[in-house]
Amino acid sequence: MNKLGRGHRDKVQQFMTITGASEKVALQALKASDWHLEGAFDMFYSQPHVKSFTDSRHLEELYRRYKDPYADMILVDGITLLCNDLQVEPQDIVMLVVSWHMKAATMCEFSKQEFIGGLQALGIDSLEKFRERIPFMRSELKEEQKFREIYNFAFGWAKEKGQKSLALDTAIGMWQLLFAERPWQLVDHWCQFLQARHNKAISRDTWSQLLEFARTVDPALSNYDAEGAWPYLIDEFVEYLTENGIVQKGQLNDWSQRR
Amino acid sequence: MAPMDCLAYSKALLKPLAFSFASGSSLPTCDTWYFRNAYNMVLHKFGEKLYSGLVSTMTLHLKEISKSIEVAQGASFLEELNRKWADHNKALQMIRDILMYMDRTFIPSTHKTPVHDLGLNLWRDNVIHSSKIQARLRGTLLELVRGERTGEIINRGLMRNIMKMLMDLGSLVYQEDFEKPFIEVSADFYRVESQQFIECCDCGDYLKKAEKRLNEEIERVSHYLDATSEAKITKVVEKEMIENHMSRLVHMENSGLVNMIMDDKYDDLGRMYSLFHRVSNGLSILRDVMTSHIREIGKQLVTDTERLKDPVGFVQQLLDERDKHDKIISFAFNNDKTFQNALNSSFEYFINLNPRSPEYISLFVDDKLRKGLKGVSEEDVEIVLDKVMMLFRYLQEKDVFEKYYKQHLAKRLLSGKTASDDAERSLIVKLKTECGYQFTSKLEGMFTDMKTSQDTMQGFYAAMGPEIADGPMLTIQVLTTGSWPTQLSAPCNLPSEILGLCDKFRTYYLGTHTGRRLSWQTNMGTADLKATFGKGQKHELNVSTYQMCILMLFNNADMHGYREIEQAMEIPASDLKRCLQSLACVKGKNVLRKEPMSKDISEDDSFFFNDKFTSKLYKIKIGTVVAQKESEPEKQETRHRVEEDRKPQIEAAIVRIMKSRRVLDHNNIVAEVTKQMQSRFLPNPVVIKKRIESLIEREFLERDKVDRKLYRYLA
Repeated sequence: MNKLGRGHRDKVQQFMTITGASEKVALQALKASDWHLEGAFDMFYSQPHVKSFTDSRHLEELYRRYKDPYADMILVDGITLLCNDLQVEPQDIVMLVVSWHMKAATMCEFSKQEFIGGLQALGIDSLEKFRERIPFMRSELKEEQKFREIYNFAFGWAKEKGQKSLALDTAIGMWQLLFAERPWQLVDHWCQFLQARHNKAISRDTWSQLLEFARTVDPALSNYDAEGAWPYLIDEFVEYLTENGIVQKGQLNDWSQRR
Repeated sequence: MAPMDCLAYSKALLKPLAFSFASGSSLPTCDTWYFRNAYNMVLHKFGEKLYSGLVSTMTLHLKEISKSIEVAQGASFLEELNRKWADHNKALQMIRDILMYMDRTFIPSTHKTPVHDLGLNLWRDNVIHSSKIQARLRGTLLELVRGERTGEIINRGLMRNIMKMLMDLGSLVYQEDFEKPFIEVSADFYRVESQQFIECCDCGDYLKKAEKRLNEEIERVSHYLDATSEAKITKVVEKEMIENHMSRLVHMENSGLVNMIMDDKYDDLGRMYSLFHRVSNGLSILRDVMTSHIREIGKQLVTDTERLKDPVGFVQQLLDERDKHDKIISFAFNNDKTFQNALNSSFEYFINLNPRSPEYISLFVDDKLRKGLKGVSEEDVEIVLDKVMMLFRYLQEKDVFEKYYKQHLAKRLLSGKTASDDAERSLIVKLKTECGYQFTSKLEGMFTDMKTSQDTMQGFYAAMGPEIADGPMLTIQVLTTGSWPTQLSAPCNLPSEILGLCDKFRTYYLGTHTGRRLSWQTNMGTADLKATFGKGQKHELNVSTYQMCILMLFNNADMHGYREIEQAMEIPASDLKRCLQSLACVKGKNVLRKEPMSKDISEDDSFFFNDKFTSKLYKIKIGTVVAQKESEPEKQETRHRVEEDRKPQIEAAIVRIMKSRRVLDHNNIVAEVTKQMQSRFLPNPVVIKKRIESLIEREFLERDKVDRKLYRYLA
């Protein structure tokens, strides 16, 4: 450690704090990723040997702590308790990331398989390790590719079991949450538009295409292609923006910012 | 012979020849002498001398001739020229004969011009192209043509000879010395004349004049110009008189193309067509103006709200307009296919401007099949139906037509109001040929049901026979649900006399057709009632089933209040009010009397059997089952149903296309679907998009992961 510069020392420190790994491992990972923290994390967590670090007895204990008394699953109360233990709010978006890692089928419940399997894959077998991992999970939202996966995962997770589409209110809630992590200037207009004009559930195709729209089309709609085979709801949204003067001649008039 | 002798000889030879022919006398007797001597000269290698002697002698001679022509005055200039030319030709012939040996031996071997040609060239150079003659000749000829154009009579024979002379001298001579200046001067002439005409004539007159001039020029060429000039001069007339003024003529106020069309001026139109045909773009101007005119009147027609109140009249008007323009195209425009196409596309354009066109056309057909074709011969029936088919082809929303046609047909069949079964079937066949089996299968099903019902009724009466002979006579049509337009069967309380019979029928029918369900459509039936009024007058009333139920109530009591009737009948209020109105408020058909006597039905009204009812007719029709233009809410309803019907059709098309193509991009899907639906309606691209998304949701298709515009079929 003495031979390292201050910047590198800090990174090692950070790495150890977050992953709980030893200094040696930290140095290894950081050197291999050219002192990029995120790359180092990736490498570290994709190591197969991490799995063997988890103690299945501890995992069983953890599961029993949260499991519902009457069903072999973790339900709302269990999740609330988990959130408390993790020191996060239940509506904190990091819980979505957790669910994603666990490949949870639906929100507000984890099956035993999902819970234990997910933690094993993450190499977590104690609350402490879990807590330590939280910042990392938050950082995953900042990665383009992962964000997209989490976003698309969110659709299936947030909708009602047995439904094909996502209820509008839930969808809007999710969008607010998700786009807080990855800002999109038109998100409020989009939600207003839906409430005013659509009032029906959101299809999976519309959900996933919306992210593409937010990613590729500039908020002033200068590069919006009417022949771009966007879902019709998005076409209607564009019409709504132009009709109401929100976008005029390639400029976004953001009245929400006028005070 | 010595060389000097040869020259002298040829001089001596030629001079007398020339002179003697000029004076008309014949050759000096010893022509053989001339021939022989010429022969000898050549033989003894004096050909050169002979030839040059010929040239110089002839040249001198022709110079003299030229002078004599120059002094001719006025009209005799041409005559003199003509005469001298004739002489020269004769002389040339003789000279050529005499010098034949030279022509055949000396000249070819020395590549000199043959005698005859030489003679022509010398004439050309020394006479025609002489400084005093060339310009004068040209001027004289052009002046004569001009004179003829302004009405003078000229000597055409003389002109013909002169032109022939020029042509004989070589087509280049003709062109340079006459034709080119002729064309130039003609162009100027016609430019001026056309300008004068266009200022003072109307279109028809102008065209007559232009045609006249054109014919004149053609005739002139045939009489005294060379045939090769025809194309050139006609081009001049076409350009100056027609091409330069095309636009002004066509658009001329009060007499241009549009006016001619409106007034059916076949002659003028025919003339315009054949004249404009000659110039490039002429016909396209005509076509464009005609097209925009038809579109304009068509547009006015389909948006004229007054006229649209009478759908049958409206459609008749459409047919009349089409007939009119069709006649114009066949009589005046030579049945030109491009004009036919323009007519068709114009009609297609404006008929579809009014979304109610399909409904109106169906109403027109309904009217014709109901009564309009009574007493009309079979061929004429076919003609009317073919015309209707023509309008049908123009419709973009053929499925809307189908819906209305079904409704109207149902009414016709059920009220027995179809005038000719053959005509009905003939039209169905035409629709099938045009649109395929699916379009007409349900319609045919309706006819089958009618026929089957007849057989069923026969069977019913045969089976029940004596049991029901005394009661009312029942005729029941059993309709297959899928084929007939969907109706909601509202409840209705039938009078007991009828009810019993109906139940018997139900038992009979279900006895022979197990597994079926019958529901009475009381809103579609009719009844004939025999009624006896106050003074014993008997009448037969033809009414709807609802009306029959209402009237039967008055067998029990003379007066019924509205609410009583409503309770007894249990039919929807709007229908009840309509029926009561038709029974009590219509002059000549008021078999009921209403108190108070207001026009509208209110819930407090009372109804009385109208003892005092009279009518000149024995049979009175009070039914309300005639097909009518739909009210606004009904129209919305129908439109809504049509849109709903289209969705599965579009989806089926998308699935078909994707199944065969596997992977396809958005725009191509839209194009393919549009093509497939063409014969029924024009699909809206937004609707297609929504259907695609619906299919994605139901996992028939998926979007490509990389290219959003691409869709993949999921097996």
